[in-house]
Amino acid sequence: MRLELKGLTKKFGSFTADDDIDLVVEPGQIHAVLGENGAGKSTLMNMLYGILTPTSGEILIDGEPVSFSGPGDAIAAGIGMVHQHFKLVGPFSVADNVQLGREHTQRLGVLSAKAARKAVLDVSEEYGLKLDPDAICEDLPVGVQQRVEIVKALSGPKTELLILDEPTAVLTPAEITELLQIMRNLADAGTSILFISHKLKEVQAVADTVTVIRRGKVVAELEPTASEAEMASAMVGRAVTLQVDKTPAEPGEARLEVTGLTVVSDAGVKVLNGLDLTVHSGEIVGLAGVEGNGQTELARSILGLVKPDSGRIAIDGEDVHGASPAARIAAGLGYIPEDRGRDGVVAEFSVAENIVLNQYRDAPFAKRGAVNAGAVRKRAADSIAEFDIRTQSPEEPVSALSGGNAQKVIIAREFSRPRRFLVAAQPTRGVDVGASQFIHSRLVAERDTGTAVLLISSELDEIYALADRIAVIYNGQIVGEVAPDTPREVIGRLMVGGGIHDGAAAASPEEPGAPEPPAAEEAPEPPAADETSNDEDANGGDR
Amino acid sequence: MSTTDTQAPAADQPEAAEEKPNFMRLFGRYLTEANSVMVTIYSLLLAFLIGAILLIVSDEYVRSTYTYFFARPQDALTASWYLVRDSYIALFEGAILNLNMLDRFAAGNAEFGDLLRPLSETLTYATPLIFTGLAVGLAFRAGLFNIGAQGQMIFGMLGALIIGFGLSLPAVIHLPLAIIAGAIAGAAFGAVPGLLKATTGAHEVISSIMLNNIAALFLVWAIGTDFLHSETKTDLITKPVDETAVMPKLLSGLSESLRVNWALPLGILAAVFTWWLLSRSTFGFRIRAVGFNEHASATAGMRIGSTYTTTMAVAGGLAGLAGAALSLGVGSAGLTTNTALEYGFDGITVALLGRANPGGIVAAALLFGALKAGALSAQPDVPVDISTLLQAIIVLFIAAPALVKAILHLRTPRGGLVTLEAKGW
Amino acid sequence: MAVKPFKMALAGFSAVGLAALAACGEAPSENGSGDNADASFLACMVTDSGGVDDKSFNESSWAGMEAAAEENSDIKVELKESSSETDYDPNLQATVDDGCNFIVGVGGLMTENVNAVATENPDIAFATVDGFSEVENVYSIQFDTAQSAFLAGYVAASQTKTGTVATWGGIQIPPVTIFMDGFAEGIKKHNEDKGTDVQLLGWDVEAQTGTFVNTFEDAAAGKSTSDTFITQGADILFPVAGPAGIGALTAASENEDVTAIWVDTDGYESTEYGAELITSAEKGLETALKDSVLAAYDAANGGEAITGSYVGTLANGGVSLAPFHDFDAAVSDETKAELDALTQQIIDGTLVVESAASPKAQ
Repeated sequence: MRLELKGLTKKFGSFTADDDIDLVVEPGQIHAVLGENGAGKSTLMNMLYGILTPTSGEILIDGEPVSFSGPGDAIAAGIGMVHQHFKLVGPFSVADNVQLGREHTQRLGVLSAKAARKAVLDVSEEYGLKLDPDAICEDLPVGVQQRVEIVKALSGPKTELLILDEPTAVLTPAEITELLQIMRNLADAGTSILFISHKLKEVQAVADTVTVIRRGKVVAELEPTASEAEMASAMVGRAVTLQVDKTPAEPGEARLEVTGLTVVSDAGVKVLNGLDLTVHSGEIVGLAGVEGNGQTELARSILGLVKPDSGRIAIDGEDVHGASPAARIAAGLGYIPEDRGRDGVVAEFSVAENIVLNQYRDAPFAKRGAVNAGAVRKRAADSIAEFDIRTQSPEEPVSALSGGNAQKVIIAREFSRPRRFLVAAQPTRGVDVGASQFIHSRLVAERDTGTAVLLISSELDEIYALADRIAVIYNGQIVGEVAPDTPREVIGRLMVGGGIHDGAAAASPEEPGAPEPPAAEEAPEPPAADETSNDEDANGGDR
Repeated sequence: MSTTDTQAPAADQPEAAEEKPNFMRLFGRYLTEANSVMVTIYSLLLAFLIGAILLIVSDEYVRSTYTYFFARPQDALTASWYLVRDSYIALFEGAILNLNMLDRFAAGNAEFGDLLRPLSETLTYATPLIFTGLAVGLAFRAGLFNIGAQGQMIFGMLGALIIGFGLSLPAVIHLPLAIIAGAIAGAAFGAVPGLLKATTGAHEVISSIMLNNIAALFLVWAIGTDFLHSETKTDLITKPVDETAVMPKLLSGLSESLRVNWALPLGILAAVFTWWLLSRSTFGFRIRAVGFNEHASATAGMRIGSTYTTTMAVAGGLAGLAGAALSLGVGSAGLTTNTALEYGFDGITVALLGRANPGGIVAAALLFGALKAGALSAQPDVPVDISTLLQAIIVLFIAAPALVKAILHLRTPRGGLVTLEAKGW
Repeated sequence: MAVKPFKMALAGFSAVGLAALAACGEAPSENGSGDNADASFLACMVTDSGGVDDKSFNESSWAGMEAAAEENSDIKVELKESSSETDYDPNLQATVDDGCNFIVGVGGLMTENVNAVATENPDIAFATVDGFSEVENVYSIQFDTAQSAFLAGYVAASQTKTGTVATWGGIQIPPVTIFMDGFAEGIKKHNEDKGTDVQLLGWDVEAQTGTFVNTFEDAAAGKSTSDTFITQGADILFPVAGPAGIGALTAASENEDVTAIWVDTDGYESTEYGAELITSAEKGLETALKDSVLAAYDAANGGEAITGSYVGTLANGGVSLAPFHDFDAAVSDETKAELDALTQQIIDGTLVVESAASPKAQ
């Protein structure tokens, strides 16, 4: 199938999400669309898949203009889509999920399990995508769930074009390698692929051609041989240096001491397994690791939202066991949560209210049980100026702000009160480059005032740029503490459970990326990829 | 409850930035827009329109005129017109001002107090609704759906009653003490679903529904006990409260038949308190934060469980005050299983109509009180169920603004349609 | 309560459909409507919290009011329903404001409210049903239903095969418990006279405690209560619960050997379960109300004022045992004779049926 977009434009009110996009996907080609968060990639794909109607412009398939009023039309036209967030019915089997919406039926509408299984096996065989049709989806590792999505997309009546929307965001490095291979195979078999990503290395590895969009416009058409720097600067519009100016750290006394921390999840899995970690004043410790290896639980345990099953957390030498989050915050714990929308801000609250969200009961913001609106407003005005928060007014709800500015609200909140220890989890996730640089320099400045900083990030580049010491977490344990000049290959190996000196370690049979697999269940598809070849992708867990 | 902004389709966005807006144009634009004020107004109008249709079809005589509509249409049309007009006038007379009584007053055959009777009845029926509406609305703001106002009110009734007849005290102490007892009893019962949610995760809707049943049956049992049961009557009715604990009537100087009592100003006070609590206090800050996003609130160090429990206790206290208002007011001669009516459940609709806003809740309670008083007085010319029916239709439209928008072809306002959403579900 | 608007709406919508079908009909000749619009005498009734369609005393009372209007075209009747006792005052006041000449409050709990309004309005005639008032312009209408229930209990004791019968009530209020007292006394009498040992489930006269479903509306609750009694061996059910009592009749219809006795009205006529009903303990509300409205009309037109009280008894026919209908053959002539004798003794006063809920101040 040859897909062509001509002048495709989508406006939301006065906001133009996509502006005059031209793009051609040749048959059997992997066409990468590269762009930062908010560049207009998802809007583009949603128009292609019939979820959104273009404001102007047209979509041509094999030269014929088409118009989709819903995904059904797109599927009928031969377009399949794998969403970033899977659309699977967890308790259903693989076969049932694949046939969802186009069920195989016998007479009188009775479901035919046999036909459904056969359909799955046919597709798996044709494209070499191994799947057990009877497995229950929610029990499968994330990578396999994604394979189900791909098979589902390919099972359309005549799917010839596959849209993959940031497919690697949730995968482990090994799974990413495998996915890229699958994509290659599909393309060789004649399927066109539109691959949405903001990961340069993956694009380089698999794409035949690259279209870069920024602020809704096509800004560059590149060959995959283009350098990372070239792609990155096209994406962000200027040359990016992830280098942060900083002086060598001068670590002081231990501010955070974690010893033997163990947390068992509700499902009975040890998500933290005797973890030890120390952070000193005046240093940034970067916690590297593929997401889902216990980072979330570690951060939440330090804040006090998760009760450890055993082990000790001491802040400033004092065991905080039993102290409430409020008490720890009051004692000088700063906390930037990894999931900003969920844990960081109350979206419906104003900028001002969010800035005092964890101090609203302290003087001067509270007076005899009432909120002192004047003091709150003043703090908000100060913070907006200091942290360059782009907002109409302090009264504007945070939901109206961009991701970067919402993150600055959190930074402002945490940096505007006395603090001795800071947990910064994914501090620049989904934040534009300018804001990222700002946040990075604030973190370094924070360190220089003597605060102990624990930086949790799935972006290895961020860790390299900021950390004075790197700790690698794997399966709920710190598997290595290394200097910041340690080569990527070494850290990459540690992140997937290999040893520091273990040159060609195969990936562990366990699936670190899978969220809490049932204890008794062995992951069915141990990825057998050669780790050394994809160390570069070890930072693939971000989104 | 939260207000959710549905993304407005781009096509409906007004692109009128270039036009020079004058006041009339802006006003006209406002009137034809599905903003929350206009949706409320149109919901009321539509409800009365549908009510009119139902009045016509449920009246046997008027219906009979439609059987020969094509032979003599004027019969059906005039009969319908008179029926609807007279019915709504009757509702108005029962709720606000009795025109008949006005004539008699003008002729010197009635006292001024008689003129105020419909208003007094409206306020009397509105008073418990103010409290229960606040009880539901406050919980809404914390993201809790307090279905349990009925049960909390019943316990408030009993608490106030026990102090009301059980102690012998001078009125200055007795009445406030009985009111406080009602609030405490309601608060204690209201805290239960909050506590269950905080400690076990039990959904407050389920637990408060069940607690309503428990309260209703407990009431039946309690009335029958020797401690509470009337000493003079064999009916299922309690002892009356002492004179010293009875809510004094507000306008007894004008006429003894004016039942509105001091529970009304107490209700207004409760609304002001709730407003302050929600929008000015640190506790209200916490309630709203937790209601919008409990995860971010927990991360900011707020204790979610205790917020739920405390909010439900305060809500229960407000519902308990509704019970106290009944026990010590219109029900002071003794409580039966019917005294509580369904004020607690009606509080849900009042809170919805008032958009969980104390001011709106008072207005909604007054409207519902007027409907109830009007319908009661308009019997038998108007079916007494008309008030419940109108209430139901109003809330239906309020809950589905898209319906109002579609029926009247209103434009989508800038921020999108405001749909009420009880987060508790 | 909550279902009523729905019913109204449903009736309305179906009526629209019918009207639409019939809209081509011919126009009638002009004449006034037939509901005594120009009547000089307005008789008004305020229901208690049960509402007018309670299939019990509100409904029967209203039927009596309407019967009076039917008989005398110079009488117009008006109805105001209450949903709780807090509605009594405004409803009574509204009837005064409407200019009613005769105002009936139904239910003993309304008596005090009636008294208050009556004292304020000494020129208007009032009546209280199932309550006793000493106010001069309030006429008390009461029924000694213990007498008819006594006969019903006697019949039940004579008819039971299992030796166990059961009664249960709606809510524990005097108009209910008086039936249960009488029923229990009738069984006791049969046991004493005939040497039987019939057991009664669901009511203890001494303790004045028993089984109540706490509703007059929920027939499903009545059914499950009845089923429980049936499994305990009861073969005759005596539900005193208005519409909720229908549950006992469905239970009886599902169990071949189980029958029932109805209250207030002759259930053979008023329910669909005539085949299950041995008899009914009737309470002549309809007649009493009709008579009192007519008497009030006469009083207003120069006749003697109605005052004091009326107590319906077996003697004056205010209460009675309904015919056996389908069970006429099943009830032995011996039993019938005994019933006649007992009736005579009660009328004579040689046999007194006691109940804690008996009408006061006879």
